[in-house]
Amino acid sequence: MTLEVALKVFRYKAGQPARYDTFRVRVPDTANVLDAVEAAWAQHDRSLTFRHACHHASCGSCAVRIDGREKLPCITSVRDVWNGHGELRIEPLRNFPIVSDLVVDVSGFFRKMSASQMIITRSAEAYLPVAASAAEGRPQDARSVTLPEGVARVNRFENCIECGICISACPTMATSDKFMGPAALAGIYRARLEAPNKAESARLLELADGEQGVWRCHSGWECTEACPQGVDPAGAIMLLRRDLVKHRIKRLFNVRRTRALVA
Amino acid sequence: METQLQRSKLRRTAQWADVRRRGMGMWAYTLNRVTGVGLVVYLYLHLVVLSMLAGGPDMWDPFVELARSPLFLALDVILIAGWLIHGLNGIRVTLTGLGFGTRYQKNLFVGLMLVAGIGTVVMGIMVFGS
Repeated sequence: MTLEVALKVFRYKAGQPARYDTFRVRVPDTANVLDAVEAAWAQHDRSLTFRHACHHASCGSCAVRIDGREKLPCITSVRDVWNGHGELRIEPLRNFPIVSDLVVDVSGFFRKMSASQMIITRSAEAYLPVAASAAEGRPQDARSVTLPEGVARVNRFENCIECGICISACPTMATSDKFMGPAALAGIYRARLEAPNKAESARLLELADGEQGVWRCHSGWECTEACPQGVDPAGAIMLLRRDLVKHRIKRLFNVRRTRALVA
Repeated sequence: METQLQRSKLRRTAQWADVRRRGMGMWAYTLNRVTGVGLVVYLYLHLVVLSMLAGGPDMWDPFVELARSPLFLALDVILIAGWLIHGLNGIRVTLTGLGFGTRYQKNLFVGLMLVAGIGTVVMGIMVFGS
């Protein structure tokens, strides 16, 4: 069985005003939204630009807004989001500069994600540079990375696929491009769980501190609501705040010094 | 030639007010801001009203008559509702903001707004009954 769905797609090309184009496509009733967008590209307009890669929610490339909600179209069934009549609105993610149509500029996002210096280690490629050091501005050599004891390899953000959906959903990101954002802060929380030593844990906590770190979050919880992978960035931000408050209280009362005096 | 489209900050900032298709957290977020703005406006109005006291009974007594009208009493109930919503949600934001009860933030919101609703009804009865 097939469906004929009308897609209302946001269009933008450099030097031209933004607009919406409507494409009527016929797709199988089991099709996902990405299939419908690809059909629009193939059958109607080859200038339509959009990202897609894995088609199974592993890469995060295809993230867009469907009728105003951030989703991964590769795993979003047309039937689940379209009521059988009217148009299905497809727009790029919010809070990112738009390069073309549904493609946004994610370079700033990935710079922030690199701040926690989480690494990918692959046994077949142990000597490849694995992550840019945000502070030092140069790639890190995998050979120089020390993993925690008992850990053979570290996956970067097991759940987070760095799709940017949380960034789009976040109301604070709309007001400040400097805000680190839910994904990067969740990454810092994740990195602290397996920090190789206390110094690294402290460095990461300091990274999350500050005006554009955890304290910029205004508890919209939309990042957690929108995340397709269950990362719960808002929860991670709140736990970082708790750790920061504990850290500051300890520093205020200088716990170690007191213990030394008492001992 | 501009190669990228960057929405204006005003347009981007205004999107917090659009809660369509958003989760409960965004509803709470927006409600807190709307009630917050309302309470600030009320504060200034309150100060203006209180300044009428300086005008003596000739200025104050007519205002008191107006304040006893059903419309004003209804506005008082709306004020109470705003105060309860903002205050109780503020407790939720404080708790979750320090990492307590983060998994239950939606339940907290529902529960506290129920309390706010009940409180508004009770106080509304007291306001109109007085």
